Amino acid sequence: MKLNEAAVFKWVVIVVIAGALVTVVTLLTRPLVGSLLGLAIVIAGCVYGYRWVSQKRREVGSKNLHS
Amino acid sequence: MESATVAVGHDHADHHHGPPEANQSSRIDRQTLGILLFIVSEVMLFGAFFASYFFLRVVVDPPTWPAFPLPKGVAGMNTAILVSSSFTVHYALESIRRGNRAGLKLGLVATWLLGATFLFIQINEYVHLGFSARDLSFGSIFYCLTGLHGAHVFVGLMLLSFATIRAFRGHFGPAEKDHLGVEVPGIYWHFVDVMWIIVYVTVYIL
Repeated sequence: MKLNEAAVFKWVVIVVIAGALVTVVTLLTRPLVGSLLGLAIVIAGCVYGYRWVSQKRREVGSKNLHS
Repeated sequence: MESATVAVGHDHADHHHGPPEANQSSRIDRQTLGILLFIVSEVMLFGAFFASYFFLRVVVDPPTWPAFPLPKGVAGMNTAILVSSSFTVHYALESIRRGNRAGLKLGLVATWLLGATFLFIQINEYVHLGFSARDLSFGSIFYCLTGLHGAHVFVGLMLLSFATIRAFRGHFGPAEKDHLGVEVPGIYWHFVDVMWIIVYVTVYIL
């Protein structure tokens, strides 16, 4: 699990794209629609993050078992 | 034999100063782990302010939100400036990883200038907004959220100043442990950038 500036920068790009998407949808429709989209993106991000961390934990566990 | 052991012991004492090296159980170096834990605490701080914002937004009566017109265009341009500063700090770090010192200096100076421009535009916006922190709950939470973020930008600029001065004095190198002085402020700067995107979308757009 590599945690450095490059890994954080990847998340900056993801948040920028998500923020731009919510902004465009809100300006084209209503704030409620934008809020719901924002909430959906946050939930999807949490699920993705949880699955990513679980996978990394499994990888680290199997490495420690073999070493 | 005994004298030889004593001599080796003295030799070791001469070379090692300060406390013994701490045991490192984590695969992340302690500086990076430190800034990540600090950022976690900062996320909680911002979370408290966002909770206040949404609470006020829901309970305010009559339901007029935002209570005052906000300059979405100017703030959007300011957002673009801050987002571009994340790209320049990333460029600075990629440059030093490849041993390009000129790129490191250019990236750091560009990041500092973009950050200072963001802060200047934010202060200029405060001057021309037409409402203060005393005007309604909206005014209070608006200045609290944007002001908290502005304070973080100021701290980030201080960290970048130190990194830039060190870069011009010939510090830092391509090895991972040799450019932590840029990596740690870089991670903090990305955090400040991400927080602004959330503040901008929440306060100005939604």
